[in-house]
Amino acid sequence: MPNILVVEDNADSAELFRRVLSARGFTVQHAPDAETALQLALDSHPDVILLDLGLPDADGQTLATWLRRIPELNRVPIIACTAWPEETARQMVVAYGCNGYIRKPINVARFADQINAILAQGQA
Amino acid sequence: MSASSEGRVAAEASITLVPASRFTIEQLTAAYNQTRVDYLVPMPMNAARLAEYISLYDVSLDESVVALDGPEMLGLAMLGVRAGRGWVTRLGVLPAARRRHIGRALMDAAIANSDRLGLGRILLEVIKNNIPAYNLFVQCGFAPIQSYAVIRRPPGPPAEAPEGMAEWLDQPAALALLGRRADQTTWITENDSLARTDHLQAMRVRLADGSAGWAVFQEQKFRGLSMLLSRLILRTEAGDPHRVGRQLLAHLYRRFPDLDTQVENVADDDPHLGALQAMGFFESFSRIEMHRFSPSLPGARA
Repeated sequence: MPNILVVEDNADSAELFRRVLSARGFTVQHAPDAETALQLALDSHPDVILLDLGLPDADGQTLATWLRRIPELNRVPIIACTAWPEETARQMVVAYGCNGYIRKPINVARFADQINAILAQGQA
Repeated sequence: MSASSEGRVAAEASITLVPASRFTIEQLTAAYNQTRVDYLVPMPMNAARLAEYISLYDVSLDESVVALDGPEMLGLAMLGVRAGRGWVTRLGVLPAARRRHIGRALMDAAIANSDRLGLGRILLEVIKNNIPAYNLFVQCGFAPIQSYAVIRRPPGPPAEAPEGMAEWLDQPAALALLGRRADQTTWITENDSLARTDHLQAMRVRLADGSAGWAVFQEQKFRGLSMLLSRLILRTEAGDPHRVGRQLLAHLYRRFPDLDTQVENVADDDPHLGALQAMGFFESFSRIEMHRFSPSLPGARA
């Protein structure tokens, strides 16, 4: 099953994501900030990165830019997770090379399916 | 904080207001992040970033206020202090503690501290469409002054080839250029804020038709590698600001095509706004700057 790196500074949200995704068979790693995320991504080469756009040390767009500049990580799917308005979220995703986005608050029942659907689009 | 602003809030006897200097940066960071957890633009910080913010923007923790209910921090308001002016920032109340007039109590305390220090004007910024906060500030005597955009440009080469040559300048030269600015700026973009910013650079361009201008920017680094351009300020010294702005940006992104850019507080009447948009910037969100003049200080508007 996919190894997913959840980059999320809010501990409650991160725990919710972990429970929901673990129950659907994902192997979940968690990074609370950009620096940890970068290190974990380099160490573990996740299959997909779920990226909160608001992080305490560098924002998600900047982290996405960085990940895209690292050859061994630049093909890892990145899914933005944000409370930004729909149009802004869409604009950010396209501009920063993300593969898709999921709006917060998440729909627990659909969350894993949304991630799988975005991953399937990338494989099509 | 003054003795007058430390004490119980009339609305809820269990709540006390105390100076933020009683807490560690880590405690303040945790409280600040909790107040923003449900914001559309939460802008979380870690302790290092908050410490830098406090230093760059002259935030006085002695004059900043924390609301407590027993040992629990329910909210905070920070006050920046510069000659004759105060700046309320990082105001927030925990979601579970809202609708208890804590935000108003924090604002009243920050205003009282500003008045006690003899600051004739208090500034703040509110995100556009944050109606509850905007209304609170109006109730506290603030009036809207100007709208500003926070804009971004994803990495990429310039949309057009630059003309002429750019002269790249170091931090002292950048600060000298900033010192020429005569127009109004915001707290975070004024020279007092930029003077202590690391990795500030500048660039000057003179075009064949005599047009000329300069750009100041910060090249932020992460683990020693360039990560982000920020604090970008464009000025036209001669010619059409749209043309000069485009050329400044063309030179900038020929040199830094791989870097993300975030620019805060571009005025909605900035003559370079069209050039920024043409060269790939888009708006993340907008802010409204609001001012309050102390009624007790004659000549505060001067």
